Amino acid sequence: MSRAPALRALIAPLLLVLLWQVWASNLPARRHVPTPTKVFAAAYELIATGELPLALGQSLLRVIAGFAVAAVIALALGLLMGYFRAVGRNVDPVVESFRPIAPIAFLPLAILWFGTGTPAAVFIVAYAAFFPIIVNTIHGVRSVDASLARAALTMGVRRATILRTVILPGALPQIFTGARLGMGVAWTSIIAAELAVGAKAGSGGSGGIGQMMFVFYAYSVELNSIVVCMISVGLIALAIDRGLLWLQRRSMPWIEDKR
Amino acid sequence: MSVLPKIRLKNVRKTFGAPRSGTETLAVDDVSLDVLTGEFLCIVGPSGCGKSTLLNIIAGLEMPTSGVVEMDSHPITGPGAERGVVFQDYALFPWNTVEENIGFGLRHRAGPRPPPDERRRKVAEYIELVALSGAEHKFPHQLSGGMRQRCALARSLANEPDVLLMDEPLAALDAQTRLILQEELLRIWGQERRAPERKTVVFVTHGIDEAVFLGDRVAVMSSHPGRMKEVIVVDLPRPRLETMRASPEFQALTAQIWNHIRDEAYRATVAPLER
Repeated sequence: MSRAPALRALIAPLLLVLLWQVWASNLPARRHVPTPTKVFAAAYELIATGELPLALGQSLLRVIAGFAVAAVIALALGLLMGYFRAVGRNVDPVVESFRPIAPIAFLPLAILWFGTGTPAAVFIVAYAAFFPIIVNTIHGVRSVDASLARAALTMGVRRATILRTVILPGALPQIFTGARLGMGVAWTSIIAAELAVGAKAGSGGSGGIGQMMFVFYAYSVELNSIVVCMISVGLIALAIDRGLLWLQRRSMPWIEDKR
Repeated sequence: MSVLPKIRLKNVRKTFGAPRSGTETLAVDDVSLDVLTGEFLCIVGPSGCGKSTLLNIIAGLEMPTSGVVEMDSHPITGPGAERGVVFQDYALFPWNTVEENIGFGLRHRAGPRPPPDERRRKVAEYIELVALSGAEHKFPHQLSGGMRQRCALARSLANEPDVLLMDEPLAALDAQTRLILQEELLRIWGQERRAPERKTVVFVTHGIDEAVFLGDRVAVMSSHPGRMKEVIVVDLPRPRLETMRASPEFQALTAQIWNHIRDEAYRATVAPLER
């Protein structure tokens, strides 16, 4: 990759920050309007004290753990549901009736079962990330060219082996799409879960970026620090998404790079 | 020499039901055919004559509605490594290199598999046989149509099937490539060898001259429903040479086959326009 596109990618964010600064400083002076300069100051302080890295690290671990649980279950179940029609027909109504139930609706149960710590948050993240991954895996499996599986059958290859050697690589592009979407909802749900768990736990330690936001909101009313939390989540999620894209390209050398 | 056929079809019927309307279409009607060991049998017929369905039934990918399908006197109940198939659309695995595609059957099939060393040796042998040396590490999308079909042929052969079933394998190629691959195919099949040492081949095509050039016999089918019309012996000497295409014997055979299917071919292409 050359350096010019990377620099060009910075133009839009910088313009946005500039616009924000101009807009915010032309409003009548009020306490609750964050400006880039104040937000940068808050960010500097939060990083220097180690509060922000600690909270981000906690949330990141929960997201990764929840995502991993979701990915393993959704991938296995999705492959089976997509490949074996009977499994798909029987399990699909169950999956589809859970799908419209928002992850956050499980929070009361999760808190009762797991308490206000990491396990409850991981459960919510896993639940949220599960659906985009399984729906895309099933779709990916069904979109694999049927003649490929037929060709493997005529070489005397068993169905279970075909699932691993033909269906899985064929569905991989869709599986990656599901993983990226799943990672996105994992981040949206971790904030919601930690905010709510944080509300329950008060200023006591459940940790994570969501709870940090709750504390800034409910106890010290520091709007600039809340914005720092929001931006840092956006940046870290962006970095992870780019990592997944890189992994996708690395693991599928047979797909021509169309960029 | 044994008189038992390699493949035997007896009174094979195949109907397809449309799932919603419930109407049934008769695709193959009462077809009986023996394929002899080591022979190159071509099946020709207008589109819709059920020739591909017949091949899929022999491959075990489809079951006949009624009738008997046997290989070496044993009923065919499903696909198996002893009956390799070469498809018109190649069906190469896009995520595998040429080398991996050709070694796929040897590596993943059920039952006895050669150790990795032997597999690599065999794959290299077949890469050389189909003249793909230098393309071992390319992916299918990096190959031309002709190279893809060579690769698909090598993939089937490397799995060492007893019978090779080919479903219009050259139909998607341009005319020159097709002529070249016809000759290549005969070389690979081993037309210089004695008949008992050759593989049994069933080759489905809509090209009459292709069928005459390649086959020991040509089975001519008619359509709606698919029936076996005539099996014609191609009495041209082997090895078949490019120059034979112009010979009177070759011309007579193609004319004879064309006579059998001309009426239907006209009906299929002209009649819909006049309606």
